[in-house]
Formats: sequence, C-alpha cells, structure tokens
Amino acid sequence: MSDALLSVRDLRKRFGEHEVVTGVDLDVVQGEVVVIIGPSGSGKSTFIRCLNSLEAPSGGTVVIDGTTVSAGDAKALDRLRKDVGMVFQDYTLFPHMSVMANMTLAPVKLGRMKRAEAEETALKLLDRVGLRHKADAYPSELSGGQQQRVAIVRALAMKPRLMLFDEPTSALDPETVGDVLNVMKELAREGMTMIVVTHEMGFAREVADRVVFFDAGKVVEAAPPTELFNTPKEARTQQFLANVLH
Amino acid sequence: MDFDVNYLIEQWPALLDGVLMTLQVSLLAIGFSLLIGVVGGAIRLFRLPLLSQIVVLYVELIRNTPILVQLFFIFYGLPAVGLGLSLYWSGVLCLSLWAGAYQIENIRGGLATVERGMLEASRALSLRPTQYFCLIALPIAVRTSLPASLNTAISLLKNSSYLQAIGLAELTFVAVDRIATDFRAIEMFSAICVIYLSLVAVLALLTGRLSAYLQRPFQHQ
Repeated sequence: MSDALLSVRDLRKRFGEHEVVTGVDLDVVQGEVVVIIGPSGSGKSTFIRCLNSLEAPSGGTVVIDGTTVSAGDAKALDRLRKDVGMVFQDYTLFPHMSVMANMTLAPVKLGRMKRAEAEETALKLLDRVGLRHKADAYPSELSGGQQQRVAIVRALAMKPRLMLFDEPTSALDPETVGDVLNVMKELAREGMTMIVVTHEMGFAREVADRVVFFDAGKVVEAAPPTELFNTPKEARTQQFLANVLH
Repeated sequence: MDFDVNYLIEQWPALLDGVLMTLQVSLLAIGFSLLIGVVGGAIRLFRLPLLSQIVVLYVELIRNTPILVQLFFIFYGLPAVGLGLSLYWSGVLCLSLWAGAYQIENIRGGLATVERGMLEASRALSLRPTQYFCLIALPIAVRTSLPASLNTAISLLKNSSYLQAIGLAELTFVAVDRIATDFRAIEMFSAICVIYLSLVAVLALLTGRLSAYLQRPFQHQ
C-alpha cells in the first residue's frame, strides 16, 4: 500500500531474553481507525508504544508519512513525534498546571504557535469535549473521565496526523467511560487516523474500520469488525472472543 | 549575677553588623546550594555517565567529613595550591558546598516521586529532556522536597556560626569577640540565641508561604 500514512514492517521489541513483539506488519491509511484487541500481555501496548518510540524497537521499521524511523535515529524520531499524538491509560496530565497550561505548553514551547493562538485553539478544543468551563481548573479538580478528555485534546492541540490510544478507558470508572468513547467516536467521524488499543468491544464494533487481534506479540488476524467478530477465521481469535463476549 | 539589658542595647550596632553578615553569607549560600542541588539532582536523575559518579563521590565526601574540617580545608588548604579565596567567599563556598550535598539528596528524593507517566507524556508531546526537567519534573519535585530543603537551609543558617573559626565577622564571631573584652557571656549568648531563633522562624515562615502556593493545584485531592 503506497498511500499508507503508517507502515510498519517486521517490528520487534525484546526485553532481555523475552521478545514481546515478534515481527508485526501493519499498514494504516489516512483516516482509518484501527482497533487492536487481544489478551493482556499479548504485546499490544508495547507495539503501540513503539510507534512513537516510547519504546525503542529492537528491529524492523516504522514509516510515518514517508519518514522512516529505525532504531536509534533521534532526529527522525523528533520529527515523527510531533505528528503523532498519544493518550495513555492513566491520563498523565501535568498535575501542577491548569487545564489551559497543560494544553498550551507543548505548542508554545516547541514554537508551533504563539500563546494567544494556542489559547484560542485550546478553548475551541475544550468546547468540543464540553470542558471549556474547566480551562482554569487543575487536574485534581476533574473526574477521571474529564481528565482523559483533556488528555485527548491536549494531544490534539499539537495538530497530529495520527492518534494513538493505549487503553484510554481502562482506568476510568464505568460511568465516565461513555464520555471518553464519545469523544473518540467524534474524532473518528471527523476523519482522524487512529490506532486504539482497547478492551471495549462495543467501541471496536461500532467505530473500527479494521480490528486487529494480537496474541503472543503477533497479529493473529485482522479484518473489518463484522467479519472479525462474527466469523473469525483463526482458532485463537475464536477462543478469545468466546471468552470476552460470553 | 545580674542580666544587664542596657549592655545589649549598647552593643546592638555591633550585633546588627553580625546579623547582616550572617544573613548575607547564608542567603547567598542557600541560593548556591539549591543550584548545586538542582544540577546534581538532574545529573543523578538522567544518570549521566561519569558526572553521576562524581556527584555521588561529592555527596559522600561532604556528608562524611566534619564541616569544620571542610572549612579549614577551603580557607587554609586551598591557598597552598594557589586557590586562595577571601574570608567572605571562603565562608560562602564552604556553606554552599556543605548544604549543596544535602540539597542534591533532597531534590533527588523529590524527583524520585515524579511518576514515570509524566516523562512519557512529555516525550509523547515532543518536549525535550531539559524542558521536561525544568517545566514538569522540577516543579512537581520541589513541592515534595520542600520540607527537607528547608531543614537543610535552616542547618546552613545555624552552621554559618562555624565561620567564626576562620575569623569572619558574623553573628557568633561578634558575640565571642565582645565577650573576650567585656566578659558579658550570658547576655551575649542569650542575645544571639534569640536572634538565631528569629532568623530560623522567618525562614520557616517564608517557606510555609511558598509551600501553600505550591499546594494550590493539589488542594482538591
């Protein structure tokens, strides 16, 4: 696929003797939403963390929009990270800064925007997730779901071309999961390219263009959601889905 | 035995000179020692090769030798290898190096409490390591390490009285010097005890203000 925004070839990550990601190929085109599911410890989080080099891959290549990132190339990495936003399981808002300061810090410090412009952008983004009135609040004043919505728009403030979500709802209490998923659905509708690691099968079914099933550091099966959930081909996928869907 | 208050009033100008010297030297040294603490703490945090080992060696050396020996080493020892400093700067250097070693440990302790997620979030936002350290890690760490840093600053202020041993005219030197001629030991030592207590109280008060300010974002938890 030549028009792929993200192209991963034979990606490997080893921790000591243990290889956690064991040769993954994946192409993601502009505007595509890819949801990665799989059992705990299957390497899906490690995989997604390799995509913006929070983990340095042990082997293989990641090409994002024509920029190849192979292990140890710091400059390519720098350029790449600015185009890739990431949302973590535990929000990771900076606790000593207001919501507004959290959102404007990176765009201003990296010279992407002037402060006034960054603040205007931040307010617009907060509006979209219904949190404009919390611009001056500190993270400790927000619920988990609110914090995660801020974390999402903080990443969007950098105007990324690709958004990575690493189990964004796993740490939330059930009541606020819906708010966060709605924001992500909205984002998908607007055409953002997204890779989402999640246990939310409902979200995968509804929003994903393609669902990727991970096990033992490998892609076992990848297909559109109706196909993967209704007629999975691999025995391992069938077994996993039988367990999570009851 | 009587306590002559008038004597103290009479000696006040001399005592005030001593206080001012103590304050000058201490405040400068508190500033320098915090600087040493931040730089040393960063070196330890990022585990910079070689520099990290040097910092460890420095901290151990300072913490395991008497401050008086360190002072004599600077004032009497260094001139022998052509590094002579004035009385004043010998005093500032000694206190800065002494407290700096403790501030490194204080700030390192604070940095250790900063969650790993903060570093990852900073990296995901493309912030540079120096931006992460100055804008994220250090402000979070300072809040945690403030009580320990204040203790070190208070110890520094009290330890400034060692500087009388090399003849710097700070508060204790003034008192001892007066006693040698006037034999009013109880008055003088009472007076400087009260003065030291007051200086420490002011320092603690200012730190309390700073602490309350840093606590603002967290008061809802």
